[in-house]
Amino acid sequence: MQPKLKSKVRCTDGEVGEVRRVIMDPLSHEISHIVVGGGTADAVERQVPMGQVQAVSDEMVTLRGTSAEFAALPAFKRDEYVTTHEVEIAHLEDRIHVTPGEVLVPFPELERSVKRRTFFANFTHVIGFLIGFPLAFPVLRYLMKPMYSPFDNEWLKIGNSGKIKQDDVGVQFKYKRKIKEAYMPEQEIDKNVWVLKATPKVLETIYQGKDMEFRDSAGKHIWTNKKDIPYIAYSGKCPHLGCGFKWRTHKTLGQVFLCPCHLSIYDAAGKVLDGPAPRPLDPLPIKVTATGDITIIDMEFKAGTKAQVRIV
Amino acid sequence: MDTTTQPTTTQPSAIEKVFAFVDERVGLKTLQAKMLNEPVPGGSRWAYVFGSVLLFIFIMQAVTGILLMFYYVPTADHAYASTQYIIHTVDYGWFLLSYHFWGSTAMVVCVFAHMSQVFLWGAYKKPRELIWLVGLALFGIVMGFGFTGYLLPWDQRAYWATTVGVEIMDKTPVLGDFMARFLKGGATPGQMTLSRFFVIHVMVLPAALMGLAGLHLFLFRKAGPAGPFRGSVEEIKAKTDYFFPRQIWKDIVGMVAVFLCICSLAFWEPIVLLEEATPDPGDYHPEPEWYFLFLFQLLRLKVFAGEFGQFLGAIALPGVFMALLAALPFIDRDPERNIFKRPIALISWIVVMASILIFTVAAIINREFLE
Repeated sequence: MQPKLKSKVRCTDGEVGEVRRVIMDPLSHEISHIVVGGGTADAVERQVPMGQVQAVSDEMVTLRGTSAEFAALPAFKRDEYVTTHEVEIAHLEDRIHVTPGEVLVPFPELERSVKRRTFFANFTHVIGFLIGFPLAFPVLRYLMKPMYSPFDNEWLKIGNSGKIKQDDVGVQFKYKRKIKEAYMPEQEIDKNVWVLKATPKVLETIYQGKDMEFRDSAGKHIWTNKKDIPYIAYSGKCPHLGCGFKWRTHKTLGQVFLCPCHLSIYDAAGKVLDGPAPRPLDPLPIKVTATGDITIIDMEFKAGTKAQVRIV
Repeated sequence: MDTTTQPTTTQPSAIEKVFAFVDERVGLKTLQAKMLNEPVPGGSRWAYVFGSVLLFIFIMQAVTGILLMFYYVPTADHAYASTQYIIHTVDYGWFLLSYHFWGSTAMVVCVFAHMSQVFLWGAYKKPRELIWLVGLALFGIVMGFGFTGYLLPWDQRAYWATTVGVEIMDKTPVLGDFMARFLKGGATPGQMTLSRFFVIHVMVLPAALMGLAGLHLFLFRKAGPAGPFRGSVEEIKAKTDYFFPRQIWKDIVGMVAVFLCICSLAFWEPIVLLEEATPDPGDYHPEPEWYFLFLFQLLRLKVFAGEFGQFLGAIALPGVFMALLAALPFIDRDPERNIFKRPIALISWIVVMASILIFTVAAIINREFLE
């Protein structure tokens, strides 16, 4: 029978207290000691090895020695032990048949001499940080590799102006653009722009009396759209959130550019008539030869901003 | 706990021996008992099935997702063709892909139901704040799954939903441009975007979801189920039963019902791809998946026009909404859980649900106008 917590403890010459705690052996999973305290003569809790226990009954634990011998036993040192909840010893609890209370196992000898536990804990974190921190930058650079690429200012032929039959009417020109992405073979992707043969009135709205200059990020001049050239090419990307807009007839506004996504509406001059778009349509650099061949520089601008920010 | 063996004349069978062998080392019986013998205060209810159903849907998504990867190739020049191959050539490929697609829809529906139930029952209140917070993170992950998975078939629908979705992210102050380029792996959607979305969809999010769902369950088990929001302690105690069998039975019925719904939808409404993705939308009118439609319609409003308006509608409004949800258990410290005694909570829930419904319907009506 195992000693029970709260059982009275007797020596050969009288009661010395009650069982306050039990201590388990972490290897044999047996009770190795009982902690006895609460006696009248001696307030110190003492640790009694099970070898000293003569008999255990339901309410009483009888020790072999006298109370004088009991008083000579070592005092119980709480900080040399941890509770069974704080250690991971498999099946330990299966072997205890005591009522709940503080059930202890000894704090290993080697651990007791370790002084700077907090220091070691923090040191572990520092090591972790020293491993992780130098990796952060390479990992970030690794993932950022394709994010920024220089602009391509090549002129692309998109078709012939003969396709445009009417002034101030948006005509879609589809073209293919070659792209080379990372390790992928060169591919052709379909793109489109809307080209307009504008009347002087529309031209005036677009150019406001000034030629339109295109510069690269370094400020170097790329091209100037002259204000009296009637051909305008709008990037096919809606300045609201980047969908593809169309040339449509609107019930009240007449012929307009309409984006089916969030219903932004622009007139032939690219001006926002209705809907959530933050800026007018984006004109692209355009060249028209004497034979009517149209070439453009394929550019894309960030959607959703008031200012034009080129991204392609 | 030791169980005494029944006195029996027959020898234990091989299976029983194996079970006993494992049980001795692992404690299977105790584990099973602990899993099943969880008291459900006030007894089992149909309203509690959504968590288990979500777990079931997730497992099925993982299984169908792994199967799809046997044929799917995440490259810009093969993604579309390999998806078409799954649909048209591989035996039952159409079914598995359609199941995966409708499964994602079911997941979103059940997430909304689960969150609503917890909200209405006041089950986010002390001591369950952490369960609620982890749950919100899981909600974000489910939305992330929907968003990243949508691109993978690489058709027009996929391409444009991603284009617009990432442009919306771009509107985040300061970090927006970086985040958008980081996700796209460049200035415009392409191979790098597909690679990134693929990795996020099949590795990053599943790992995050498994970890957080585990934490969610652990915290739930720590705090215990909240139980009904009305009734005296005695009444609740009298009706209390264990997770097994009554609640599990209800959960299983819920799972079967959801499974049958997903199968029927996959069967009668199988996935049909549009044209292969290109930056030229042709006649296609871009539109996100139905559960993002309300947000899409919201951004059509004049209030959210212009650069600032867009930030307001696309970033600030959803951001504030999520922040409010996260702060909810800390703002609402009243221990009262009865929804009929929490008028602000009830009205807020109705307003949010009604707005989502109205905006979704408005977006659908707008489709006609565009034709």
